[in-house]
Amino acid sequence: MFLRQIYNYANLRASFHALQRAASSTGNTGTASATLLYNRDPQPRFTDPETQKLLQSMTQLQLEKIFQKTTVPDNSVDYKLMTMDMLEDEFRKSIERAKNRLQMPPVVQMKKDERRIISNDSALSGFSDTKYVITDITYGLRQTERKVVVRQTDGTLEHAPMEITKRMHQLYFPLTGRSIRTPRMFADEHLQRCLDEQKYLFILNRMVVQFDPFEPEFHTISSRVYQHINETKQFDILRSTRHFGPMTFFFAWHRCIDDLLYDMVRRDYLQNAAELIALLYKLHDMEPNYKNILKQIDEIKPKEDLALKELEKALKRASSDVKEDIQSAIGKTQVDFELDDLCLPFIEDYISKHALKKVQLELATQTIKEINAEKRQLFEGISKAHGVA
Amino acid sequence: MVGVFGKSVTIMYNHVLRNILAPSKEVATNTFRYTSFYNKLSAEDIWRGVTSVSNAGKKRGRGKGSGKRVAKDLNRGQTIGVGSRNFVWPGLNAPIVRGKTLIQQERLSEVNNMDRNINKIRDLMGTYRIAKVNSIDRGWSGAKMPGRSIGPPDAINEEMFENFDTRVLENKIVFIMKGNMGRKRRYSVLSITGNKKGLAGFAVAKAPEVRTALRKSKNRAAQKVIKIELCDNHTVFHDFSCAFGKTRIFVQRKPEGYGLICHRAIETICKVIGIRNLHAKIEGSTNLQHIVKALFLGLLQQKTHEEISRKTNLHVIEFRNETGLHPHIISKPESCKASKDPLSKEVSDYTQYVLDDQISLKKRKFAPFYIDSKGYNLFLKRKEQVRNQQKVRVNMNAFDNDLQSV
Repeated sequence: MFLRQIYNYANLRASFHALQRAASSTGNTGTASATLLYNRDPQPRFTDPETQKLLQSMTQLQLEKIFQKTTVPDNSVDYKLMTMDMLEDEFRKSIERAKNRLQMPPVVQMKKDERRIISNDSALSGFSDTKYVITDITYGLRQTERKVVVRQTDGTLEHAPMEITKRMHQLYFPLTGRSIRTPRMFADEHLQRCLDEQKYLFILNRMVVQFDPFEPEFHTISSRVYQHINETKQFDILRSTRHFGPMTFFFAWHRCIDDLLYDMVRRDYLQNAAELIALLYKLHDMEPNYKNILKQIDEIKPKEDLALKELEKALKRASSDVKEDIQSAIGKTQVDFELDDLCLPFIEDYISKHALKKVQLELATQTIKEINAEKRQLFEGISKAHGVA
Repeated sequence: MVGVFGKSVTIMYNHVLRNILAPSKEVATNTFRYTSFYNKLSAEDIWRGVTSVSNAGKKRGRGKGSGKRVAKDLNRGQTIGVGSRNFVWPGLNAPIVRGKTLIQQERLSEVNNMDRNINKIRDLMGTYRIAKVNSIDRGWSGAKMPGRSIGPPDAINEEMFENFDTRVLENKIVFIMKGNMGRKRRYSVLSITGNKKGLAGFAVAKAPEVRTALRKSKNRAAQKVIKIELCDNHTVFHDFSCAFGKTRIFVQRKPEGYGLICHRAIETICKVIGIRNLHAKIEGSTNLQHIVKALFLGLLQQKTHEEISRKTNLHVIEFRNETGLHPHIISKPESCKASKDPLSKEVSDYTQYVLDDQISLKKRKFAPFYIDSKGYNLFLKRKEQVRNQQKVRVNMNAFDNDLQSV
């Protein structure tokens, strides 16, 4: 499964490069419908390093979620004996694998199907009852470099439309998990059933395999899923998966982040909430002061080794350090409290200026403020009692 | 001429007539013997002769099969004075005097079903059937006891054996010689009792009656219950091999969903203990008592993860395919080995360590004899054409709901 995904990514990236070239020539393709679509090319904004960093931070890396139990053909268990160093190495590798799994599918513009005629040989008109499709099946070519042309019955030689090209590629170089015909679950009525059952991950994972990011279906289906999630407010299903970033980007692009923001505040992910607002400001060039706060967050946040942290967590060491004991009891560190102090005013500023669901958000902020104040008091009290600065 | 003719006719006529009236056969006088076992023996003896087997025959196991005849008690269902003809017999089935009138012998017109009822009772007597046992409750083979459940052991001093189940593993006849009684026969029963959560015990008991032997064995097993550690509540901790006498068992740990692929006795034992997944191969003798003892020895000698990490001073780490091979710490030592030390050879490999440096010989599987035959190759060639038919069928059904291309 994993390998397949990686392969798929490689494929996506290949097509993505081709799209960059194509995107510059095509104009607006947005259609006015119930499903929100990108009206401009979102790719430059999406691939921007700052955006990527924000999206990755918001996605969060929860190992329990990434490596949650799934059905596999071989569910055997292997045991190994290890020293601390070996274990640390193993954790590092595992974190790398986790990061790989969180690699986001690209958000690019929809590609338009254009008729590109190579030559018009009217002498060949009526040479056959059917048109001929000619595919270049040279070994080792990228799918995007592979030429597929059609000789029409009237003698015209032209590049094959996208649909035929995709079918030919799948026919000669099948991609595991992709079927030649579109699976019926993507038909309207079945998709609606899947959405109603909240099988968002299932839909998105299959969609990523079945469609390329520049295909219209990719856009409509993902948009439908994101909008449905926004209605049911089940953002946590996608958290710590590769689809959380594109979803957040989608909401920020279409200026409907309030529900997601509310969810983040309620779950005490205040840093993520601030990042979400920053993303919104960035995408729409609203308030330039967001850069400051991001810088400050970066400064406060210690550069910690993720693998070591996870390892410590796993070992659940009865640590002799009182400081760590207090932290694990309350669930927050001194740094977390400082970050909260930094993020809360920024969030409140957004709520007062731009938010659509003001009352709800204000209430949530107030509640989380009180809870954190209480936690802080407790934290300081215990620290003082133990004589820890 | 006429006279001669007339005379010969008369002789022929007489001859024919005589033959018709009394065929020309020697007259045989039947001799009757008026004594036989019918009038010499009592009814009881005769019935026994017909329906039972002699002592010598019994010893050889005769008279046990389907052709066994059962004596029918013809008196059953009969009452004096009641028969197929509906009669009033004063003094027999009716009072002699009713009031001041004397009751007369009288035939009643009503028809009774006396005959049919009696026949029904007699038919039932002949065809005795063993009550049908649910297929789940049946043992390993037929109506035999081995493999069958005999319920939880009896309570000891109000100590109830709740959630316990006992299974018979062996039920056989054994003989011993006694000074005054000679060859004495008893039933020997080996059974195992357990609660499917790691508690189990087994015992052998002998008794002259099967039922007593079963009970004794069950209750004795309950007194010998021991704790067997289960890994993840479904299997053994690691591969191991164990032996008792000439029996050697190679046990392999298997993941959830594998099942019990082993000898039927091992399967039953595992089910009672609570092991749901394992592979076992017996080499050598398949003596049941030895199998049980060998398996119990092996299970008790397992090294738990805590033990391993304590002895090796290393972490035991679990890698599950279903959780993306993320390392999961199962047990950690008190003080871990210095990381710079190279791991000594004997503890570098988990499997090698748990098997005590022994390696089980894996025999190479030979290709089947037909692999090079002309017919098999032809078969493969023919199969190649239709190798994807099933997939196409499924696909067509999925997309078009029909087995025709659109």
